[in-house]
Amino acid sequence: MALSPSPANRREAWGRRVLALAVVTAIGFVGLVGQLWYLQVLEGGRMQELSEKNRIRVRPVAAPRGILFDRNGLALVDNRPAFTLSLIPREMEDRNSVVARLAVLLKMPVGDLMEALERVPADSIRPVRVRRGLSLEDVTKVEERKLELPGVIVEVEPQRVYPTSTFAAHLLGYVREVSDEQMKQGRYRRGDMIGQSGLERLLDEYLRGRDGGERIEVDAMGRPVQVMRREEPDPGAQVVTTIDRRIQEIAEQAMAGKAGSVVVLDPRNGDVLALTSSPAFPLDRLTGNIDRDEWLRLVKDPMTPLMNRALQGQYPPGSVFKIIVAAAGLQEGSLAPMDRIYCNGEFSLGHWTFKDWKAGGHGHVDLRTAVAQSCDVYFYQAGLKVGGDTMARYAQAFGLGAPTGIDLGGERFGLVPFAAARPRGKRPWQSGDTVNMSIGQGQLLVTPLQVARMMGAVANGGILWKPRLVQRVAKADGSLAYSATSKMTERVELSPVVWAFLRNALSAVVKEGTGAAARLPGLDIAGKTGTAQTIAKSDSAKGQDHAWFASFAPADDAQAVVVVFVERGGHGGDVAAPIARKIYEALFLQKVAQVTLPEPG
Amino acid sequence: MLRLDRRLLQNVDWLLLGAALFIIGLSLTCLWSLNPGRGISSLVWRQVSWVGVGLLGLLVVVSVDYRNLVRTAPVLYVVGLGLLTSVFVLGRTVSGARRWIHLGPFTVQPSELFKLIFIITLAWALTSGRGERFSRGMLIGIFVLLGVPFLLVVRQPDLGTALVLVPVLAAILVGIGIRLKVLGALSLAGVAAMPLAWLVLKPYQRDRLLVYLDPFRDPLGTAYNVIQAKIAIGSGQLLGKGMGGATQSRLSFLPERHTDFIFAVFAEMWGFLGCLVLIVAYVLLVMRGFEIAAGTREMRGRILALGVTTVFAAQILINIGMVTGLLPIVGIPLPLMSYGGSSMVVSLTGLGLLLSIRMRQFH
Repeated sequence: MALSPSPANRREAWGRRVLALAVVTAIGFVGLVGQLWYLQVLEGGRMQELSEKNRIRVRPVAAPRGILFDRNGLALVDNRPAFTLSLIPREMEDRNSVVARLAVLLKMPVGDLMEALERVPADSIRPVRVRRGLSLEDVTKVEERKLELPGVIVEVEPQRVYPTSTFAAHLLGYVREVSDEQMKQGRYRRGDMIGQSGLERLLDEYLRGRDGGERIEVDAMGRPVQVMRREEPDPGAQVVTTIDRRIQEIAEQAMAGKAGSVVVLDPRNGDVLALTSSPAFPLDRLTGNIDRDEWLRLVKDPMTPLMNRALQGQYPPGSVFKIIVAAAGLQEGSLAPMDRIYCNGEFSLGHWTFKDWKAGGHGHVDLRTAVAQSCDVYFYQAGLKVGGDTMARYAQAFGLGAPTGIDLGGERFGLVPFAAARPRGKRPWQSGDTVNMSIGQGQLLVTPLQVARMMGAVANGGILWKPRLVQRVAKADGSLAYSATSKMTERVELSPVVWAFLRNALSAVVKEGTGAAARLPGLDIAGKTGTAQTIAKSDSAKGQDHAWFASFAPADDAQAVVVVFVERGGHGGDVAAPIARKIYEALFLQKVAQVTLPEPG
Repeated sequence: MLRLDRRLLQNVDWLLLGAALFIIGLSLTCLWSLNPGRGISSLVWRQVSWVGVGLLGLLVVVSVDYRNLVRTAPVLYVVGLGLLTSVFVLGRTVSGARRWIHLGPFTVQPSELFKLIFIITLAWALTSGRGERFSRGMLIGIFVLLGVPFLLVVRQPDLGTALVLVPVLAAILVGIGIRLKVLGALSLAGVAAMPLAWLVLKPYQRDRLLVYLDPFRDPLGTAYNVIQAKIAIGSGQLLGKGMGGATQSRLSFLPERHTDFIFAVFAEMWGFLGCLVLIVAYVLLVMRGFEIAAGTREMRGRILALGVTTVFAAQILINIGMVTGLLPIVGIPLPLMSYGGSSMVVSLTGLGLLLSIRMRQFH
């Protein structure tokens, strides 16, 4: 140690100084331990409480559903903020008592609430939507008792709002929370609102958008303290349809109180301007909280409001079918315009007697008069001349008995009977069947949309369009997600003379025949009435016959096809034709007065 | 290249190394519970690879005589200065500060590396003079030599690293026997310069200081970190919540929870007793460092050992002090615990320096 005092001293001094520094450091560490003792042991309980209160809420931010517009840029549906009652399972400390209190407060069945909760894990922090479309009164009730209802929150979501409860119901379709059945597809999250019918279902992928979400920090009272992260929702795409909202509205008003359908097409391109089916179902009720009873009432209603009659209703075409018989006969040469017969009001075939709709008959009639007056006796004979299978062939050529290919799902085929295709076990085809078929009765079944497409072909010289409902779908950023051009599916080849004759004869129907009730000064409407006998018995005061009026205008340069079908409405000329007249009035005469307001925003 | 004779190996400080590896182990469990993933990209595996790199650095430093290392100080200094400057040109801005540069897939924080260069440069400067006593001129020289990189670090701004360098310099000056009068004068000058420093500080740094003085000044802004960290630590109570129950940490109430605030995560999981174990491990490490410094005869070794030890001590005290709310918030990683490559590599390399000095103490 003392070998050389100077370095040893120095070494000792260095050691002392390092020791001093070590002591200072040690004091620092003791200070830290003291602070930890204070925080974790002395204050630990309080800190534990604070950490419990620190909660994160994950709140989905629903993407506003895309808007559907008509061809002029008017909205067919819109969104508005609506209140949704939600439960957060994780925050419901005593689930049973909270649910019981809530059920009493809002007069909701406890079972419904529990059922909704049982579908998700008990510690889920995602809100479970239990009731949509809460009234302001209910919202106030919940907010007032917030402290007694931990885990109960009221969310604001965009919800569909409709011009009227039933406006274009079948066309638009309703939006409703994804069902258990649909959850199995794996494409949706629980609580998602998805299109369940009509265009809302067809275009759901586009309309739905992508939900955003936010993480919010909340205090023990559930009050949001701050938004920690927010992901903006991706709004749904905007859809421009081919519908003309004004025409749709007028058609629906004209059909008010009646069962049936109106189809308005543009024969130049197949655009669907209006498509109604009545009675309609209440869209807004189906979107909100419909209870089981109300749903069952809708499903079991004998008037079948859920059915889209335009494409799912199959009816005998009645005298409207005479157009096909005339076209077939003229083209095949079995009929000539100048052939005249004498109609005494009856036609006998074997031991059968077929009556004309007009007692006493029409007297001497040629083909044009027969069409105009809808002379049955003429067509009984014409049908026999043309032949059942030829009529059936032409019916098929005009698109009857086959789906039109419209984008809405659930379209029915109708039926065009062939003699050869009689089901086994049934009696064979007889001439009586041919006679029946020639006035659109018997087994023949069509949908109003098929008739409209057929009338379009008559109007435009043979082109069968695929009915177009959607023009384009534009994403929120403006990019085009989908666009559809008009598609010609079939072409009926008839001699130009035949087309000209048909248009002329149909024009005579309105000018001087059974369709006079559709007459509008200044517009040359071509049309055909139909009064189809129904098989089923009914007590309806208006009689059992279906009323048809299938038409287009102007006759030689058609811009619109209007088909009106009134179920058990009575005579086509009396019931259906006046409705078509109202629509033509709106289409052609009020057009000048139409003011298209620019869309806000 | 690794020429280690048996005598050297006999003097490996297993206690020091063991304490360090134990702390690293604790760090990895914390990271795993924060980000439990088996993938290559998970925090744990990235940190494990950084530990590997750090151990490699440790081996290299151990195998080289530290005296040779001090001789290369001028080169290291220039390289270090170059790196610090490059941050301003190539640097990546993360939350308002340019502290990182890209090297391929990695980002490197030059100010971390500079801590070691700072100490080595000090050792070189203080021992390259002829006499063992140093003069006033030498002191001024040192201040100039170290002042330039110090200001560069402050300008990045990396206040945390800059703040660590001050006590390191002070400790080394005390160690070599600076007269208390001189040290007092320097401290006074430092205090006098504080208003000036206030002007240099960025607004967020000023906020942090003010929040330290009054935590409820802005409970959702800057003070948020302090409050949440305190809640996390406190709610760990005596025994902790375990790895699964650390709600504060898991629910991401804690910002920067895998880097500067990892102590709060640890404290929530393991409670006061766990913290005690961790702190004992740190105390062992630091006290062993002081012991090595005290037991070294050779001047360069002394300065290096004392420097590295004070870097550890200062970082640990400042980091935990800040996370527990004793000190204002500055960005300083907790050595061997915080996630981050540069910090881990530098800590292990510094450790290697201590081991190297200890192995060559008895030559």
